[in-house]
Amino acid sequence: MRSLLKLFSPGLWIVLLMAVVSTVLVALLPVRPNHGMQMWTFDANHAKIAGYIAEDWNRAHPSTPVQVKLITGAALQTRMLSGFYSDTPVADLIEVERSMIGQVFAGPVADVGFVDLTDRLDRENLRTGINEPSFSPWTTRGHIFGLPHDIHPVMLMYRSDLVEAAGIDVSKIETWDDYFRLLRPLMLDLDGDGRPDRYLLNSSPTSLFYHEVLLLQGGGRLFDNANHPKLNEPLNARILAKMATWYTGPTQVAAEAPIGGTSAIQLIREGYVIGMLAPDWFAGQIRVAIPDMAGKFKLMPLPAWEKGGRRTSVLGGTMLGITKAGPTTSAAWAFAKQLYLSSDTAHRLYDVARIVTPIKANWNQPFYDEPDPFYGNQRIGRMYIQLAPEVPVRPSSPYYPMTQQLLSSVVIRLCRYADEHRLYDVPSLVPEAQRLLDEAQARIEAQINRNAFLRADR
Amino acid sequence: MKSSRLHSPWTPWLFLAPFLLSFGAFIAWPAVRSLMLAFEQTYGPKTTAFVGTANLRFLVHDPFLWTAVGNTIVFTLAAVVLQIPAALGLALLLNRSDLRGRRFFRLVFFSPSIVGLAFVAIMFSFMLEKRTGLINASLHHLFPAWNPDFPWLDRYVMPSLILAQLWLSAGFYMVYFLAALQNVPGELLDAAHIDGAGAWQRFWHVTLPEIRPVLNIILLLVVTGSFQLFDLPYLLYNDTAGSGPDNHALTVVTYLFQTGFRSGDLGYASAIGWMLTLVLVGFALIQRRLARAEES
Repeated sequence: MRSLLKLFSPGLWIVLLMAVVSTVLVALLPVRPNHGMQMWTFDANHAKIAGYIAEDWNRAHPSTPVQVKLITGAALQTRMLSGFYSDTPVADLIEVERSMIGQVFAGPVADVGFVDLTDRLDRENLRTGINEPSFSPWTTRGHIFGLPHDIHPVMLMYRSDLVEAAGIDVSKIETWDDYFRLLRPLMLDLDGDGRPDRYLLNSSPTSLFYHEVLLLQGGGRLFDNANHPKLNEPLNARILAKMATWYTGPTQVAAEAPIGGTSAIQLIREGYVIGMLAPDWFAGQIRVAIPDMAGKFKLMPLPAWEKGGRRTSVLGGTMLGITKAGPTTSAAWAFAKQLYLSSDTAHRLYDVARIVTPIKANWNQPFYDEPDPFYGNQRIGRMYIQLAPEVPVRPSSPYYPMTQQLLSSVVIRLCRYADEHRLYDVPSLVPEAQRLLDEAQARIEAQINRNAFLRADR
Repeated sequence: MKSSRLHSPWTPWLFLAPFLLSFGAFIAWPAVRSLMLAFEQTYGPKTTAFVGTANLRFLVHDPFLWTAVGNTIVFTLAAVVLQIPAALGLALLLNRSDLRGRRFFRLVFFSPSIVGLAFVAIMFSFMLEKRTGLINASLHHLFPAWNPDFPWLDRYVMPSLILAQLWLSAGFYMVYFLAALQNVPGELLDAAHIDGAGAWQRFWHVTLPEIRPVLNIILLLVVTGSFQLFDLPYLLYNDTAGSGPDNHALTVVTYLFQTGFRSGDLGYASAIGWMLTLVLVGFALIQRRLARAEES
């Protein structure tokens, strides 16, 4: 025994002892079984609203109470995918943001970790009651895997104080050409350095998300309804060529105050950008971020690409899915309906975040007609709802993030081409836009064709 | 009796067991598994499909990968050309006995390594921002003709990354060089001085050969570290998962991460990982052989 003790120094024995004791202690810690259901969400406002609804639910259903957990987006994504990939514990219900869903749909459709809701929605006649385009990001290979939380139509938020002070009547604006022509006098050089200190639209060649917003508004698309890539359609080339003329050269009218970036709020305050692409959630965020700017912003439908064209687009989105791992699918479904379909949720969602519900039955609620003092007493809820049916359909392809980046690369290269060749008119840029899109299409097709699981499900 | 127990044939294995178990569990088996994965397509580890050499064949023609390889090589070359001379220059400066406040400067130059990479990335994103960033705002203030919207982070992606990495690492490698310089025998330098050697000749013919082993190690660290570049572009260009505008910040490891952990294709990510491993092992072997040749 003594010789055994002498094998290691006393310090080493202490470390070893501590390791053994702590391992035993951890192993003996009681694991509290989850009573009822868990719901994970990544957004504080969503969690707050779900919490209110869960309180009511828990009173009525004490045997299947719901516990709402707020988890940061990245952690939620990792835990969710680990659960789906490797059967580690996941919640019964998970709210998933649009950028997270592609990965869930990358494998065989039978292995998607969420319950297929298609039959339930049809059986209970719920599909017709929900804004149809809102299902598209949560649908893969004909199967719907989530209840849509929102619509996120996009309007144009503009600095009404500056626009009205200049005597510009925005009611005359129908197209983007009208918008830039009428507002051009606002692109001022305020510090006398010969460069404008104000731009008319918050977008730039590196604005990853806005290219898609504008493309979809103009009738372009990244994928068709079967999630086949359609990057190189001629309409896309024309739209991108036009966008390039906004971003560079003597015709430049757009620059970016990167939303989420460190300087965005300061630039928005200074009026660096007069107009911003504003989905409903953004309209809600700005109210909270700069309350002292109340009355200096207004919203209007997006100017169309052509006369009579679409006046909105879409940006962002969330769904609620029921995980296959959960033991109580029917209770989870009942809670999901209570949470997402109720007028109470719709009211709270609009009140807290200005997000409008995709549930058509709630569109007539009076709170959507209340004037919003931050936006010059405009009835912005009603304005967003009126645009909801026009929201374009979006893909759910697992290759969507890659395609979005390819689109951004095309815009960046097109602007570089325009600068190198001093070509700043649409007809001159269309052939190069088409060439770059053809190249991007070939790249994304090669990636998709490599996916054995998607091939097998086709 | 005691002695015979300790000398039983199992005793060495008993002592080796902790290492063998941990090596097997955390290095050998994952390596074998990742090699197997390189011949599969996966949707996480659970759902797999054997695809033969398809991953390896795609690797050869994958334009994203070759963009990443190109960016990584540029970054590595810049790191070697800039980081090592900068670190050596700082070390030579701080090695001067007549320099006052050496300790203070040593702390100043080393401090970026203390604050860490996340801080450096955030700080550079502030500094290089259009219009409101410190660099553009200062330059515009000093030279009104300077465009305050100069797109450092959008159009000068690689220089921004190189600059941030240089600021972060130069002080760190400086410490290695400083330690090596302090071991250069003073009498050798004195003898060279008496023989009429100038400062440059003393550095080239005495100091450099003496610190060469450390230089070789630093070269290896810089090259392998640069080839594994991931966190800096990932933090600076988080909105594109580290790819940056037009994939200008995409590195091999960033692409591996995107493929394995964003797309869930651990198979293709493993193939990329093995390619990177072979490149790094190849470089290490070449570098070792050159070092030995020099020594002999």
